[in-house]
Amino acid sequence: MLRMQDISKIYRTDLIETHALRELSLEVKAGEFVSVSGPSGSGKSTFLNIAGLLETFDTGLYELDGREVSGLSDDARSRIRNEKIGFIFQGFNLIPDLDLFDNIDVPLRYRRMKADERRKRIESALELVGLASRTKHLPSQLSGGQQQRVAIARAIAGDPALILADEPTGNLDSLMARQIMDLLEKINAMGTTIVLVTHDPELARRAQRNIHIVDGVVIDSPPYQSRFTQFPPRTTAGAAAE
Amino acid sequence: MKTARTQVNLMNVPIRPLFSSLRRNPTGAVLVALQVAITLAVMINAAWIVAQRLEKLERPTGIDTRDTFEIGIVGSSRKFNVAQAESEDLAYLRGLPGVAAATVVNGILLTENGGDTDLSRDPGTNGPVVGANFLTVDDQALNTLDVPLIAGRNFRADEIRPLTKGKQTPPSEVIVTQSLARTLFPHGSALGRIIYNGDSNPLTVIGITRDFMGPQVGAPAYNTVLLPTMPGQAGLYALLVRTRPGMRDTVMREAKQHIGTAHRFGITGFSTPLAKAERQMHAGDRNTAILLTTVTALMLAVCCLGVFGLTTFNVGSRRRQIGTRRALGASKRDIVAHFMMEGALILSGGAFLGSILALVVGNWLTVHYALPRLDLVYLLGGVLALWIVGLLAAWQPARRAADVPPSVATRTV
Amino acid sequence: MLGYYIQLALRSFRRTPGLTALMAGAIAFGIAACIVTLTVYHTMSGNPIWWKNNSLYAVTMDSWDPNQSYDAAHPKLAPDMLTYRDATYLYGSNIPERKMLLSYLVGVLSGTPGLTRPVPVNTQATTADFFRMFDVPFEYGGPWSAAADRGPEPVIVLSRRENGKLFGGADSVGRTILWNRLRFRVVGVLDHWNPQPRFYDLTPAGGGSFAKSAAAFVPFEWGPTLRIWPSGTMSCWGPQTIDTYQKLLGSDCVWITMWVQLRTSAERARFLDFMNAYWAEQRAAGRFGRPRNNHLWQVSQWLRIHHVVTNDSRLLLRLAFAFLAVCLINTVGVLLAKFLRGASLMGIRRALGASRRQIFEQHLVEVALLSLAGSALGLALGALGLRGVHAMYAHSGNAYGAVAHFDPLGVLWALALAALSTVLAGLYPAWRIGRVSPVVYLKSQ
Repeated sequence: MLRMQDISKIYRTDLIETHALRELSLEVKAGEFVSVSGPSGSGKSTFLNIAGLLETFDTGLYELDGREVSGLSDDARSRIRNEKIGFIFQGFNLIPDLDLFDNIDVPLRYRRMKADERRKRIESALELVGLASRTKHLPSQLSGGQQQRVAIARAIAGDPALILADEPTGNLDSLMARQIMDLLEKINAMGTTIVLVTHDPELARRAQRNIHIVDGVVIDSPPYQSRFTQFPPRTTAGAAAE
Repeated sequence: MKTARTQVNLMNVPIRPLFSSLRRNPTGAVLVALQVAITLAVMINAAWIVAQRLEKLERPTGIDTRDTFEIGIVGSSRKFNVAQAESEDLAYLRGLPGVAAATVVNGILLTENGGDTDLSRDPGTNGPVVGANFLTVDDQALNTLDVPLIAGRNFRADEIRPLTKGKQTPPSEVIVTQSLARTLFPHGSALGRIIYNGDSNPLTVIGITRDFMGPQVGAPAYNTVLLPTMPGQAGLYALLVRTRPGMRDTVMREAKQHIGTAHRFGITGFSTPLAKAERQMHAGDRNTAILLTTVTALMLAVCCLGVFGLTTFNVGSRRRQIGTRRALGASKRDIVAHFMMEGALILSGGAFLGSILALVVGNWLTVHYALPRLDLVYLLGGVLALWIVGLLAAWQPARRAADVPPSVATRTV
Repeated sequence: MLGYYIQLALRSFRRTPGLTALMAGAIAFGIAACIVTLTVYHTMSGNPIWWKNNSLYAVTMDSWDPNQSYDAAHPKLAPDMLTYRDATYLYGSNIPERKMLLSYLVGVLSGTPGLTRPVPVNTQATTADFFRMFDVPFEYGGPWSAAADRGPEPVIVLSRRENGKLFGGADSVGRTILWNRLRFRVVGVLDHWNPQPRFYDLTPAGGGSFAKSAAAFVPFEWGPTLRIWPSGTMSCWGPQTIDTYQKLLGSDCVWITMWVQLRTSAERARFLDFMNAYWAEQRAAGRFGRPRNNHLWQVSQWLRIHHVVTNDSRLLLRLAFAFLAVCLINTVGVLLAKFLRGASLMGIRRALGASRRQIFEQHLVEVALLSLAGSALGLALGALGLRGVHAMYAHSGNAYGAVAHFDPLGVLWALALAALSTVLAGLYPAWRIGRVSPVVYLKSQ
């Protein structure tokens, strides 16, 4: 699904050069639920931005869903983002003056979908996250957990192959966090590849595989991988219940 | 948080952070400064132009325009006896109770309908000449115009040359306005001196009047020569009538009616109150002054909205920073001072640019529109005025900034 | 996608109604100022007979005082009118396709049922070609014949307005009226015709550049025949006192406007040669003390040398542009601030798959809608402003008021200009917001 080889990214300002990623290589297979962890400033966010085609990189190769993306135009990158990738952010990033329906509608609009098709997808996405009855609510009328579920609905409405989640539970209490994680696992079980960036070992442990980034490179022998061989993947039934 | 400081002056506002905040998002500030510059350049020059126009508008006509009107009479046939019609009309008018004085004249004062001529101190056409309006009138002209003599005497009734067989007889006495006298004879009195109109008879200056505006066809407004000759050789003449106060319209209506049917081969043409002629004479300058003022005021308003908008935006997007400053001990006054200082900085930048622009525009106007060179008082006044008005526009949003609570600093999202 | 953008733009307007009103208002005022001044300017500078610009020529010849120029402010220009001698001689040439002379006489009309008593009317004494050269439209009848010019025959053409007063607007061709107590036969009635500026006669006594056309027209020769003094502008120089009509005809007084219609540049050159030959001959006989200055002016040149566009209206036009500039800079500033404030939302949209181009388009649609609203408001304000200017000038009785009418072409110009400049002004903010990196705003939450 996602293969990076020797990706480097350097931020330059007048005074300093920061090597955010140094020849980072990693691979995520289709259908995997992978967590990416690392201390603050390790390059996780840069990795996520590059993986999500929000940022370009300086050297290396990046293949997404079997396609090399490094030389693509902004239009082409935007289309891939729109069709293949779903984002989930720590701060939810819902558009405050759009109601839930219109928020989820945003990526579908950019895909130029017909109105009835969009309606169908939005309704089923809201159904999946358990907020079907609230289409006309504004984000500010919802709790944090609910907002994040809307963000998830927005991410999956376009039926992406890959979901990139950036500390999705960072602003939530533990109960809500667990519900979000259950939801993500449910989505993963339906076949969507998920890459979860987090600094929380607890969450990282719930993924099938963990990639640890320190100082812009992947540290080999991911520490939690061995455990996964011992425990079967969790089931996700009932995760969406409030 | 209560601070012990009671007095804040702008010097307490550190300048360097101001510049750095301007540098971080310079486009908005630059755009406002540009607006200020253009507005200032326009405002200063518009004020200068309007001042010139007002000066022109305030030039006195020297005539009692309120109670004076003119009626034109034209012959409808070659059989029209102008001389007879003139004396009949004057006798009729002077007999009306509402009429203070009446005379005949060869043009319409203040309206560019009339004649002008070149006068000279030397006979022939070789010497320097002075352009002047000429009025051919009778001995009642000064009385009708209500223009006093400064020196010399009025025409005597027996000096007025009549029309003979429809032809004018050249006179040998003239009365001139003070301006004309001074232009012709810069040194010494013009009284009793001889002037010429081309190869004409010598004309003796027998009187000098206070200045008044003539018809101004081509000559300067206050340069007028009066000739004691009955007008009307082209079959047309005008009657100039001064009424008793407030009677103008009544007398004009009555006179027009009477004269319109009094002559066998002559009818009335125009009839114009001189107040109306004066209004028309000033229309161009007055309207230009009004339009200039209106557009400039609108421009200033838009410019102030620009300053207001930018400050509002800056306050809105820096709430957190303001909160932090407040949390670190800045008083409300410090915050207000900070934003006022920022506004002042932008205004000053714009004013600097605008002053240069104003001078360039002023110079251009001097070259292309023959406008007098811009008075620097207007430049300084304009800069000061815009600066103050601009700061007033920044005041309200700056006040709002001061109301940002310090707790904003610690609040997340 | 356009529908979506429009929806988003309207939503954005609703979110910040104050700012939106401010921007639309600023644009509207700028456009209104431009509409008013451009309309006045356009009408003033317009060439009402542009389609004949290359064939109509005003004829001038410097017959003025050897010691000084006709107009001290423009010493290189000859008088804009001709003496009777020169005009009649030049008129005798058969080089031009058409030719005409023009002066004014006071004519007193009487003898029709519509008149209870005689009325003086401004009469243009002219020749038959006048009507054909300037494409003057007729409601009834037509110009008089060339023979009527020579006679002169007692024929008269009335303006539509005058015909309305005298005959109630009926077809009066063939009717007889008294002009200066002589019987004249009506041969034609003009249709609406009031070219602005009145290019063919710009003299002040004729009423100036924006006066109406005359009320009645008679063959030119009636002036000399009846010895009626010209009532238009007349300028004389020299020592001679002009006290008889005969003296006037032989004098160096200028009072006749002359135009010729020439088909080709060769014809133009031939006519100029003809003028030069006449000039040389007269100079040899002792006239024309000034340097040779024979000139044929195209209509556009004629309007320019007479400063038909007043300095004031030029000045006001420039002022209006400066005002529009300030309004637009204001709009750029406000738009930029507004767009940048929404940058974080654009970051989200970018992450969700909107391309840079789509973000740019979205904002451009918003700008375009704003510009549309501003232009519509500006048009209304401009119409109001024009009415105000019109009233202002009408009140002061200035002929210039005729200029301030709602002229569709002038308005179209102003609107095109305004719409274009607003969208151009919006391009930069829309482009800026399109360039914003999504990453920065996604994180800053």
